[in-house]
Amino acid sequence: MTGVFDRAAGEVAGQKKILPGKPRIAVGLATCGIAVGGEKVYERLQEIIKKTDADISLTKTGCIGYCREEPLVNITIPGKPLVILHKVTEEDAEGIVEAVKKGTVPYKKALCRVPSWDHVTGTVITYGNGFDEIPLYADVPFFKHQKKVILRNAGFINPEDIDEYLAVGGYATAEQALTRMDSETIISEVEKSGLRGRGGAGFPTGMKWRITRDAPGAAKYIICNADEGDPGAYMNRNEMESDPHMLIEGMIIGAYAMGAKKGLIYIRAEYPLAIRRLVHAIGEARALGLLGKNIIGAGFDFDIRIATGAGAFVCGESTALVASIEGRTGRPHPRPPRLTDPGGGLWGIPSDLNNVETWCNIPVIIRNGSGWYAKIGAEKNAGTKVFSLVGKVDRVGLVEVPLGTSLNTIVCDIGNGGAQGKKVKAVQTGGPSGGCIPVRLFDTPVNYESLNAVGSIMGSGGIVVMDEDTDMVDIARYFINFATGESCGKCVPCREGLRHTLILLNRLIARKGTAKDLETLALLADTIKNTSLCGLGQSAPNPVLTTLAYFREEYDALVKP
Amino acid sequence: MTQGKTGTELAEPPKKPVTVSINGNAYRADEGECLLTVAERVKIPIPHFCFEQSLEPYGACRLCMVGVVHHGKTVMETACTLRAKEGLTILTDTPDIVKYRTILFELYLAEAPKSAVVKEMAARYGVTKTRFLRRVDTGDPLGGACVLCGLCVRVCNEIMGAGAINFINRGPYTVVNTPFTEPSRDCFGCGACAAICPTHAVRIEDRDGVRILHSWSETKVPLSQCVSCGKYFAPAALEKSVLSRIEPPLRDDLAGLCPACRAKKLAKKEILAATGGDPGDA
Amino acid sequence: MEEKTLEEIIARYDSPTGKVLGILGDIQRSEGYIPRETLEMLSVKIDVRISQLYSIVTFYSFFSLKPVGEHVITICMGTACHVRGAVGVLDALESLLDIHGDTTEDGKFSVTTKDNKFTVEIARCFGACSMAPVLQIDGTLYGYANPDTLPAILEQYGWRAA
Repeated sequence: MTGVFDRAAGEVAGQKKILPGKPRIAVGLATCGIAVGGEKVYERLQEIIKKTDADISLTKTGCIGYCREEPLVNITIPGKPLVILHKVTEEDAEGIVEAVKKGTVPYKKALCRVPSWDHVTGTVITYGNGFDEIPLYADVPFFKHQKKVILRNAGFINPEDIDEYLAVGGYATAEQALTRMDSETIISEVEKSGLRGRGGAGFPTGMKWRITRDAPGAAKYIICNADEGDPGAYMNRNEMESDPHMLIEGMIIGAYAMGAKKGLIYIRAEYPLAIRRLVHAIGEARALGLLGKNIIGAGFDFDIRIATGAGAFVCGESTALVASIEGRTGRPHPRPPRLTDPGGGLWGIPSDLNNVETWCNIPVIIRNGSGWYAKIGAEKNAGTKVFSLVGKVDRVGLVEVPLGTSLNTIVCDIGNGGAQGKKVKAVQTGGPSGGCIPVRLFDTPVNYESLNAVGSIMGSGGIVVMDEDTDMVDIARYFINFATGESCGKCVPCREGLRHTLILLNRLIARKGTAKDLETLALLADTIKNTSLCGLGQSAPNPVLTTLAYFREEYDALVKP
Repeated sequence: MTQGKTGTELAEPPKKPVTVSINGNAYRADEGECLLTVAERVKIPIPHFCFEQSLEPYGACRLCMVGVVHHGKTVMETACTLRAKEGLTILTDTPDIVKYRTILFELYLAEAPKSAVVKEMAARYGVTKTRFLRRVDTGDPLGGACVLCGLCVRVCNEIMGAGAINFINRGPYTVVNTPFTEPSRDCFGCGACAAICPTHAVRIEDRDGVRILHSWSETKVPLSQCVSCGKYFAPAALEKSVLSRIEPPLRDDLAGLCPACRAKKLAKKEILAATGGDPGDA
Repeated sequence: MEEKTLEEIIARYDSPTGKVLGILGDIQRSEGYIPRETLEMLSVKIDVRISQLYSIVTFYSFFSLKPVGEHVITICMGTACHVRGAVGVLDALESLLDIHGDTTEDGKFSVTTKDNKFTVEIARCFGACSMAPVLQIDGTLYGYANPDTLPAILEQYGWRAA
């Protein structure tokens, strides 16, 4: 049953929740917050608030991205800046409630203060002034160089309450698009914005939308790739757990522009919390008339279904993803036909496939205009990108920067270099499909072309930092082992080629390899890259090729003289 | 000749003739014709294992790679997915193709060391030995000759409709067999898998009125015995399935007879009918 | 699994889109593995060849045909976890539980202690990379795992030092 869409009521209700006129405590409860005890903090706070009969609103929020500092807790005292507490434990709960009751916060646990926050979709929430001894959000080294566009709401709103999403401008853009814009205008805006696919391939999104819309036949599907298989990458997980509605809003706008009545989110099974929050958000959207029949009263029908993966990295490849949804094994098939061709998409119907993060950019582009978006980032690389900065780096977390920002800025300024004072040696970008980039190339700007030029790829945004203790040949073997285990096994270069690449690497690491083996390794890598059927095989050799290029001495050291 | 799914080709509009260039020579083709088919027709050798006319291009073996010349650049693509169009220019033996094909054949020789077909094909393209570790599997029901081209699986599932065998596991652990590696209840013994296997790896034996599919977990399928001459001539389930699609009286004329005895009976019927006798006496 | 339960699961999927993996996922979550009889029953109920279902169950890492122990420990072997010592955590875990795991000929990694109390498996990434190395026990994630913190964690699940 589709409800009747009424933004206003929910928006007002949401505003009252974000600024309730009394203290509000919001505990960061995305997967990493929960993994380090966030739920226990929440329960303890709840207990104490009840016991002391405190007039405090307690809620949950998502993750602002400073994962190293989890559990994070936000405190909003009326008239005062929002304060973010870090590394909060159950034991701190009592002190927090006590302080809040007195109209203040426990300074020792404070990370930073936020006098006001721009939610980028037309709403600025002003919290207040005071607490001047606590550093400003903009001065915190981890946050200083970041620009929040995609993670505009993460860590501030309750992801399980659509009212709060409405309160920060949510769904106003969908309303605008469906009632006052037409398909051509929307697609043209997306094209002019310069948005490129954030799943890694970097294909111009507007162009893909146009091709889908213009494909023969009235039936179309839109699909969200939420498989996020790259180990070390969890941007999409946070985007879905902290702000599920922005994904839904992006898909509503896209569906309308492309004429699709059905949308699908293909999400990996290893993300149960993201699945739960999406299911809940879809239910809320339906109840409010945003999904179903005649959505937003605009005479357009659209609904979203969720399909889960089952542990296969290869299902991030578009034809394998579709096979998986259709109830088959995830074995890619050759193109043509492409997904957007008749006969090529889901159930043979032309389908548009975009990554979670691509969809999340749509509301801000349509709201603020293509011109605004195109000014962010670099030439041919518009916008921001969320990266997961993990591994042997000091400040671990999710980093959102304009494209074109250098690796130096990300790893050294934001990440503060190696953990425990070790020297950084390299980063791996783009997951198992990417390459290792040595520290001497850290002035490389992070954009699609520059990363390709040094032998790596942008991928979905994982940046794994390696330090002076990391053995690069071991890393190459790790990735080949990964690719071997995830290969679908259909084509010979990937199945057999990777099998023998692993045998060679193991032989080398056991110090039984020869110089001839190194030659064969390079030749195998080249063959697999150029003859494999799909992107998995074509990019699996990248870690080997880049470590051979940049860390040859580590290979030579293993070879018998 | 068009590419398409089996058995359902309708009358098609006339094909537009185009000219394609292969290795510098011009050849005629129908627009949309599969390049691998064109090459075979004009006797230009391009190796392949997984291609089958009546199925969609599969893209598993990677041997049919050719270089497509476009605006001065040559890009590698599989010939089985290329369609003929006016001016398409391809090269089959560029240095890159020879380099990669060699490695691919070496991988095949290591994967299917017992296959005479692989050895012979590799030798035709100049590859007679492999630097890679040969697979050793003494109990392999496919005799060390399987290259996982997928044709047996696809024929069984997509053309015959039995669905008795399929891929098991993934990556380098992939094998083809029946579920749980137990005799299949869905197999009706047609033998299409063995017929289509390019390396003759599938082992089937007819013995004492039973067809034994050794490669598929020793699945046993009873054979029909000719009521006239006593020869075992077809799997019983297959005969039953085929007969169920034929109307009488032809059905009754054919039931229970081997091909030779069928032919004799039908010939007798015709002779009797032509000479004024009672065809019922055949 | 009872026939009625299986029918209830099947009934949750009103469209072929996402149906097969959805049903299998629900069975896996409910039973901890996919029992053979359930798979055969499913084949009949949704009219999909058993060879096709078996192919799917053996292809995807999420599904297991082997029953599991009382508690399932899944170690993440993703890149961030590897770089921060996941291999050492796995070794320590195997040592404490007196088991030795290896990738078997079906490509999966799953080993159960003799007393059937613990099954150890591998995951490719939980997305909790900021607290690498990560391990999961019965659905609960533990971050910053290292050989020293393992005994205390395991004790919560009834393990006792030899």
